[in-house]
Amino acid sequence: MSADTAPLDRAAILVLVRDQLAEILEKSPEDINEDVSFEDLGADSLALIELVEALEESLASYEDGFHIDDEDLEGLTSVRDAVNYVAVKLQVA
Amino acid sequence: MGGDFAPTEVILGARRAVDEFGLNVILVGVPELLGDPLGLEVVACSEVIAMDDDPAASVRKKKDSSLVRAAELVRDGRACAMVSAGNTGAAMASALLRMGRLPGVVRPCIATPIPNPGRTPMVLVDAGANAECTSEMLVQFAQMASTFVEAHYHVERPSVGLLSIGEESSKGTPLVKETHQLLREMSTLNFQGNVEGRDLIPSPVDVVVTDGFTGNVALKTLEGALKFVFSTMLSAIDTNDATRAAGDVLLEHLLPVATRLRPESQGGALLLGVDGICVISHGSSNATAIMNALRVADEMDRDEVVGKVRATIRPDQAA
Repeated sequence: MSADTAPLDRAAILVLVRDQLAEILEKSPEDINEDVSFEDLGADSLALIELVEALEESLASYEDGFHIDDEDLEGLTSVRDAVNYVAVKLQVA
Repeated sequence: MGGDFAPTEVILGARRAVDEFGLNVILVGVPELLGDPLGLEVVACSEVIAMDDDPAASVRKKKDSSLVRAAELVRDGRACAMVSAGNTGAAMASALLRMGRLPGVVRPCIATPIPNPGRTPMVLVDAGANAECTSEMLVQFAQMASTFVEAHYHVERPSVGLLSIGEESSKGTPLVKETHQLLREMSTLNFQGNVEGRDLIPSPVDVVVTDGFTGNVALKTLEGALKFVFSTMLSAIDTNDATRAAGDVLLEHLLPVATRLRPESQGGALLLGVDGICVISHGSSNATAIMNALRVADEMDRDEVVGKVRATIRPDQAA
């Protein structure tokens, strides 16, 4: 983590995932909650790759070379899955 | 690197675009596979996305592929446009992920100009980028395609039709009926109502909007039907001496029509909604098709299509 980066907790990861997804899908962040599935949000495979690349860029300041494995993508079907995945990867409580 | 006749025909088409239109064309490819670049600048890469590769996944995995590198040249301002005859989905994914979406655009779409005898080409949108769409997406596709037609073909207030199974607003799927209502309420669009499959060529409107699944099926049906009609006609002409003699007279008039209706005459499909120009040529593109695609890409740059689409979708952010 770089010196000027604020500590990250699960709530902050949720905000990050939600805001990135809202921007990609042109939705209001308020319309995206943790329980909603990517399918219900209308996020296709390309939108999910956009999300992955955006998260990798945002989270690089917390972990050098932060990377989401393509093989893991199939298991991520909801906002909650994505938040949990990032939290585990970054060892965030 | 992509396309049925790549790299030979692609390089030849690029060379012709340089010689005939004075364009500055950069080839992006694997040097060992390219062969003679005919004096053109080459940006080397080490990978190729195959026609059957998964579009989104391959763009992530093959970061040093010709498609990804070409999109990066546009993103970085080294090129004003990219042209590819390769994997359509991967070209779209490369452009989207590297150039980015224009603000406010929900999903980019593929706009395919279709020859329209006696008038400017009709633009079919979406021709295959988004199999599943919402009515809001279809309205945006109509907006972006209208802006393209206005900027590129200089048609004032292009007419828009919604592809359905009948002209009445009550006809069609729930998506079509909902979209019809939204388009009718859009005062900025010159919406003319529903059109049917038979209205694709010749078309009474400048833009036909539909979802990507229907659009791609319609486009391929049209291409297949035109090919069948022309090959059947040529077979009939070749029946006997009398028909061949008649053919000598007829072909002089028929061949120019066939040439005008061939997909390569229009250069290719255009990806609308990304922050850069991406022209997607037919997989079977020959040198002429590639040359035309490069010409169209250059014209789109001169016509400032991207900036105009940006202003259409987000008028508050217009330069």
